[in-house]
Amino acid sequence: MYLNKRAQMRLIGVTAIILLVVGAMVYYTGSTQGAYEGDLASVVADKSLVGKQVKVGGTVVAGSWDKKSNPMRFTIRGEKDTSTNGPTLKVVFTGTVPATFGDGVVAIVTGKLGADGTVEATDMITKCPSKYESATGATPLADLMGKGASMEGKPVRVTGYVKPGSIAAAGTSGDRFVAAQNADGSGTTLGVTFSAALPDGMKDGSQVVMGGALEQGKFVATSVALEASQK
Amino acid sequence: MATLGLLLLGIAFLAAIGAIAAFALGKWARMGDGMSKLGYYATFSAAIALTIAVVLMVVAFFTKDFTFQYVVENHSPDTSSLAWLYTLSGLWAGREGSFLFWAWLLSLFSAWVAYRRFSLRDALSNMGIMVTNVVLMLFSAGMLFSEPNNPFKSVAIGSDGSIIKVIDGVSQVIGNTSTSGMNPLLQHWAMVVHPPTLFIGYAGLTIPFAFAVAAIIENDGSKLWVEIVNRITVFSWLFLGAGIGLGAIWAYVVLGWGGYWGWDPVENASLLPWLTGVGLLHSFTMYRKRDGFKKWAISLSAVTFALVILGTFITRSGIVQSVHAFEADPVSLYLFLAMILAAFAIAIAGPLLRGETFKGNDEFESLAGKEAAYYFNNVIMLVAGLLVAYLTITSGLKGWLGWLPLAGKSIPPTTYDSVARPVGVLYAFIIAVCPILSWRTTDGPTFWNRLKWPLVGALALFGLLMMEFTTSLQPIYNKMIALKATNAAALKMASAGPAWYYSAIAILGFVAASLVIAVTVSMFVTGAKKRAEARGESFGAALWNILTKARSQSGGYLAHIGIGIILIGLVGSAMFVYDNTYTFPNKAGSQFQVDQYTFTFASGQSRTLDNGNTVDEIALDVTRGGKKVGTITPGQTTFAATQQTRTDARVLSEPLRDIFVTMQGADENGVTVNVKINPLIWFSWSGFILLMLGTTLASWPKGGAQPVAVDSRKGISRKVAKR
Repeated sequence: MYLNKRAQMRLIGVTAIILLVVGAMVYYTGSTQGAYEGDLASVVADKSLVGKQVKVGGTVVAGSWDKKSNPMRFTIRGEKDTSTNGPTLKVVFTGTVPATFGDGVVAIVTGKLGADGTVEATDMITKCPSKYESATGATPLADLMGKGASMEGKPVRVTGYVKPGSIAAAGTSGDRFVAAQNADGSGTTLGVTFSAALPDGMKDGSQVVMGGALEQGKFVATSVALEASQK
Repeated sequence: MATLGLLLLGIAFLAAIGAIAAFALGKWARMGDGMSKLGYYATFSAAIALTIAVVLMVVAFFTKDFTFQYVVENHSPDTSSLAWLYTLSGLWAGREGSFLFWAWLLSLFSAWVAYRRFSLRDALSNMGIMVTNVVLMLFSAGMLFSEPNNPFKSVAIGSDGSIIKVIDGVSQVIGNTSTSGMNPLLQHWAMVVHPPTLFIGYAGLTIPFAFAVAAIIENDGSKLWVEIVNRITVFSWLFLGAGIGLGAIWAYVVLGWGGYWGWDPVENASLLPWLTGVGLLHSFTMYRKRDGFKKWAISLSAVTFALVILGTFITRSGIVQSVHAFEADPVSLYLFLAMILAAFAIAIAGPLLRGETFKGNDEFESLAGKEAAYYFNNVIMLVAGLLVAYLTITSGLKGWLGWLPLAGKSIPPTTYDSVARPVGVLYAFIIAVCPILSWRTTDGPTFWNRLKWPLVGALALFGLLMMEFTTSLQPIYNKMIALKATNAAALKMASAGPAWYYSAIAILGFVAASLVIAVTVSMFVTGAKKRAEARGESFGAALWNILTKARSQSGGYLAHIGIGIILIGLVGSAMFVYDNTYTFPNKAGSQFQVDQYTFTFASGQSRTLDNGNTVDEIALDVTRGGKKVGTITPGQTTFAATQQTRTDARVLSEPLRDIFVTMQGADENGVTVNVKINPLIWFSWSGFILLMLGTTLASWPKGGAQPVAVDSRKGISRKVAKR
């Protein structure tokens, strides 16, 4: 079989050119446009990321957004963070808001990190909310009740245990479930109102971390999550 | 009842092992045909066991048997006329079910090949079916020995709807039936059909891999293995492509971002084997017709299979963030990783170890020949597949892998686009000229002769496209660029390069598309003319005969025309989207201008459906140049059961562009909507349909005899009638 050396050399040559050009293009655009991906706390802490592209996810802070505003502005807090003063990131997003955006939804935004800690996001995807949260920094139920009327209407993060047998389906009248001081249902108890989906795996005696406020003797929860160490 | 399912999985697992043993013993322990026959029976048994398991699951869904944990978590609460379809789709909606579904399809493909080759039971087929059983065994093992992947877990349901599971001997409530079930986003017809079509493609692409391995084991470089698997490969690639298209359609109408491809990791996962699959199909053509590209065929069969598994690995391992990704589990991680590495090893080692056997008829005389075009097709597709695979996982490359290029960085769509666009246009030019190149080399005059008339057609088409470019596309680009400070989409457009470069890519894209369409159409015209002359048929009859008799080639050419049309659609709807957000007063008669369209707010309403969901909707009248285009009613649905909300985007289609509107929010003061103009998007959808039709034609069974031993001197396989 005779081999046409010249044609083969040309073939290899053109292939090499294609590979080099494509490789260079990818490397160049990838380096300049590629985003550092990390969790919220480390992105906030890392000053070297200012001015660079970042991709960071966090839970949308209830009430921090208005879907009608253009550009959309909102705040996200680290998915695992349950304290009320943990690091947050402000986001300014000029694109189309995804279909499932809302309170407690995990939003993963990509954009330039500004010096003021705001992300000018050009991309956003949303995921279903994480069902686990750490109880560190959350007020134990007994303390909340102990403070009494002064806590009325004030947004808090509180932790307690699901009183056995108290979980009810959404839409039924009465409490969604009852939070108790202790896992067996003893101690101080507090009825909880909550209309959204309860986290998977929540059962009798589960330790929960809730965000919301006391209103007229009931806790109106805006978010309910399982205590993270139960994972 | 769920335990019966587990039992059936166990039977399938044992049957697969039995088949492997039977074939291995039949060959290496020289126990002969009697033993190999058992392998065939075991293959049929595995398929039967898995079929019963699937039926069991489907029955559980339709009877709402909540003792199956999988049914509880994936049943659809829908009550519309399509409810039965959503109920059925629960089978493949979740991680465990999709695993079962895939394994079942694999067992069916395996059994089909076994059935077709049973009368011959040749060495090659025996080894091929043995390999498919290895893969099936691994899939079954994944479901049996890994809790997160087991589709047949049992639970009990309490009187209040609580879901009770026994964990470590203790009964615990793990949820409630009122809040569990299928994600509402999945309740759309395209989303129902999308996974099964993809899985048919994935499962089917195991077959060429298995037979490539068989050819290596049997040291048989003849085209027999290719003849056996060719049509299944085309069929599988067809379904894979259809699945990708359906996913794009769903993304377009349901997800509300007005686009259909975002280079999301799981989108990429399905694209990877499709890309190398193109190379594979064309290598098979060379193998069958010219006894060439043998090493390519072996390697691409293995790489395509590796990428199929890589795709599911990306989806299930948690290695990358994606809207699609299931939660991670370690068993799938190691199981799939092992399969990927083994397949890649075979792709490289196979052709090396059997170099002499798979030496093909592959001399290159010049770059201006068909062989060179096929070669560059393979190179571009292989590089594209591997590159997209790499870019998809870069964000997960940390720790000891951190030194690799772009490690730790998440690659945005703009990077993929920056390479895909110019390479795609170049690739389209290759598709355009290949049919008019000769084998080995093409001399100038011959090439020009063949190009003359198609060039006229191409120029006409290009003229029309340039009219659209200057009157519609270019103005959109200019308007968007002016908005880049406040508009994310505009910023992305601006960052794609200087205006002259952007226009050049678009114009070259139109040139390439025009050439692809015109040249390929001319192949039909000249072919029909020649046939009409030679056989005294009329032109129409000759054309019809070409389409129905020379199916492989005709189907391929139709598919190419489809690609040309898709390219036109891509240039318009990927590069020239007008995307902006508007707020207007919540008063009937409020107006705003979007590119050439005037929107007038007509009314807003809120209504509650039978199932308790509430729908908030607004109506907007759209006119262009004074003429009414239509009324569009975007809105939002709030689901009673889960309180999840879903934006209901709406589309108003004109022939040359779609108007896509989502309602972002409304209150007494104002309404905010996002409007996108998607030019030429119907070219994308219709090109996709033509691509599917062409591929279907090409994969249409030939009927007749099974291919059998090869006369290696002539490279022709003899066929014997079915016994």
